[in-house]
Amino acid sequence: MIRFDNVSVEYPNGVRALNDVSIHIAKGEFAFVVGPTGSGKSTLLKLIYREVTPTRGRVLFDGEDIGALKANQVPYLRRKLGIVFQDFKLLPQKNVWENLAFAMRVIGRHPRDIRRRISEVLNLVGLTKRCDAFPHQMSGGEQQRAAIARALVNHPTVLLADEPTGNLDPDTSWEIMQLLEQINTHGTTVLVATHDSQIVDRMRKRVIQLEAGYVVRDQEKGAYQHSTLTEDLCCGA
Amino acid sequence: MGLRNVEYMIQEAFTGIRRNGIMAFASVTTIALSLGVLGTFALLALAANRFVLSRVNQFEIAVFIEGKTLADIEPVLKQIRSISGVVEMNVRDRKKEWEAFKRDRPDFESAGVPLDVLPFAVDVKVSDPGRIAQIASKIRLIKGVDRVNESKELVDRILAVLRVVKVLSIAGVLVLLGTTALIISNAIRLTLYARRLEIKIMQLVGATNQFIRLPLVIEGVVLGAVGAVLAWFFLTLGGRYVALMAEKIVFLGRISSGVGRAELACGLIFVGAMIGAAGSFVSIRRFLHD
Ligand SMILES: Nc1ncnc2c1ncn2[C@@H]1O[C@H](COP(=O)(O)OP(=O)(O)OP(=O)(O)O)[C@@H](O)[C@H]1O
Ligand SMILES: [Mg+2]
Repeated sequence: MIRFDNVSVEYPNGVRALNDVSIHIAKGEFAFVVGPTGSGKSTLLKLIYREVTPTRGRVLFDGEDIGALKANQVPYLRRKLGIVFQDFKLLPQKNVWENLAFAMRVIGRHPRDIRRRISEVLNLVGLTKRCDAFPHQMSGGEQQRAAIARALVNHPTVLLADEPTGNLDPDTSWEIMQLLEQINTHGTTVLVATHDSQIVDRMRKRVIQLEAGYVVRDQEKGAYQHSTLTEDLCCGA
Repeated sequence: MGLRNVEYMIQEAFTGIRRNGIMAFASVTTIALSLGVLGTFALLALAANRFVLSRVNQFEIAVFIEGKTLADIEPVLKQIRSISGVVEMNVRDRKKEWEAFKRDRPDFESAGVPLDVLPFAVDVKVSDPGRIAQIASKIRLIKGVDRVNESKELVDRILAVLRVVKVLSIAGVLVLLGTTALIISNAIRLTLYARRLEIKIMQLVGATNQFIRLPLVIEGVVLGAVGAVLAWFFLTLGGRYVALMAEKIVFLGRISSGVGRAELACGLIFVGAMIGAAGSFVSIRRFLHD
């Protein structure tokens, strides 16, 4: 579904954020992208939603070269993606319901569909009761749920989450991960960038590890650190 | 792009204005001020044009025709009337002319020169001062015409002044139009900056550029039009004051740009709306591309 072919990204200031990355993410998969700060996790996600284009190599989405898309085709790529940000990016002057409606309205969806879909999604993320709350009236976990709900509202085939648990305590982080896993079991491909080692270790999902822009590990059912010792420790924990 | 979406965009435009009240106020004020300056300049330029033109119109062609009676000169008058561009003719009272002449040259009367030696003087008015020279030379060719006096130098000089006034006012209006567009596009860029999160989210959820742009362009049009109405209000008030002042300065007489209030309103609103649309279009374009 998503394929990186020898992708390198060099930012205009000369920073090489990704080097010769080749990975494939299959339909329906759940994968973590891990690595220290500055290793290129966000850049990898940005390539998928065409915020960044590769300097070398190609990123394919369903066989289509994302980097070669014309500017007027990019919106249609993004409608297939749901994006969740660490800083939520909720509109502060709109409540939860309005934030979701906005995301549907601006791609021209019918008000009737909007009402039905929003109650569906709010139910899924467990925010039905908080639908008229404004972002500043909600906890970090609730805001993240709202952000996930917005990402889901347009039926994406892929959910991209950049540090979705960055500001949350371990319990809340775990709840969010459970939610993402639940979404994945409904058939949505989920790609999560994180440096939350506890979560990664607990989830036992595919782990793509970046180090200074290189993929240094790509492992099914991996842990945050590649070592049998930590794996054993985690399993024991 | 269905009707439902257009309706949504118009609604969004007004919501945007309401929610960003201070920015909207700042934009409207800026637009009103710059349109006010532009309008003042344009009206003054028009008034100057009209003023110069009215001076020119006082200069007409004086034609002297030989003849003893009015009936004698009638065929000549007919020919003059048939020249295109001639608007009006006025045969001066020969007796009055004669009195004036006698005062100048008392020796003529004592010599017993009769009244009808004097040619008839006819003042010919033309529609366009630029054609005075051309029409004068046509009249000169008519048989029976004694002398044609067109005060050529004066007319030429006034026409030259008129040309300068015209060029300067067009240049001035263009420069002001450009500056106004720039100011408006800056004001709109500020409102865009204040809403960058909203725009970013629209982009990330897959709104087309058109869907992002249109409500903002409509917003620009509305702000431009509202600014224009304010500018119109001040210009009309200011115009009345200026006209009053001018009437007190006797030699100027009545000064007017010749632009009616409704015309002024339509013109300003049109320019304001166009500039608002262009300003937001340009700033959004830049905004969406980086
Ligand atoms: N727009 C940009 N312009 C220039 N350099 C950038 C840009 N975005 C990222 N970088 C650089 O590219 C490298 C990779 O950045 P990226 O954001 O992908 O890392 P990350 O793994 O997401 O880090 P973090 O865990 O801190 O979010 C970093 O060195 C960063 O400074
Ligand atoms: Mg990052």
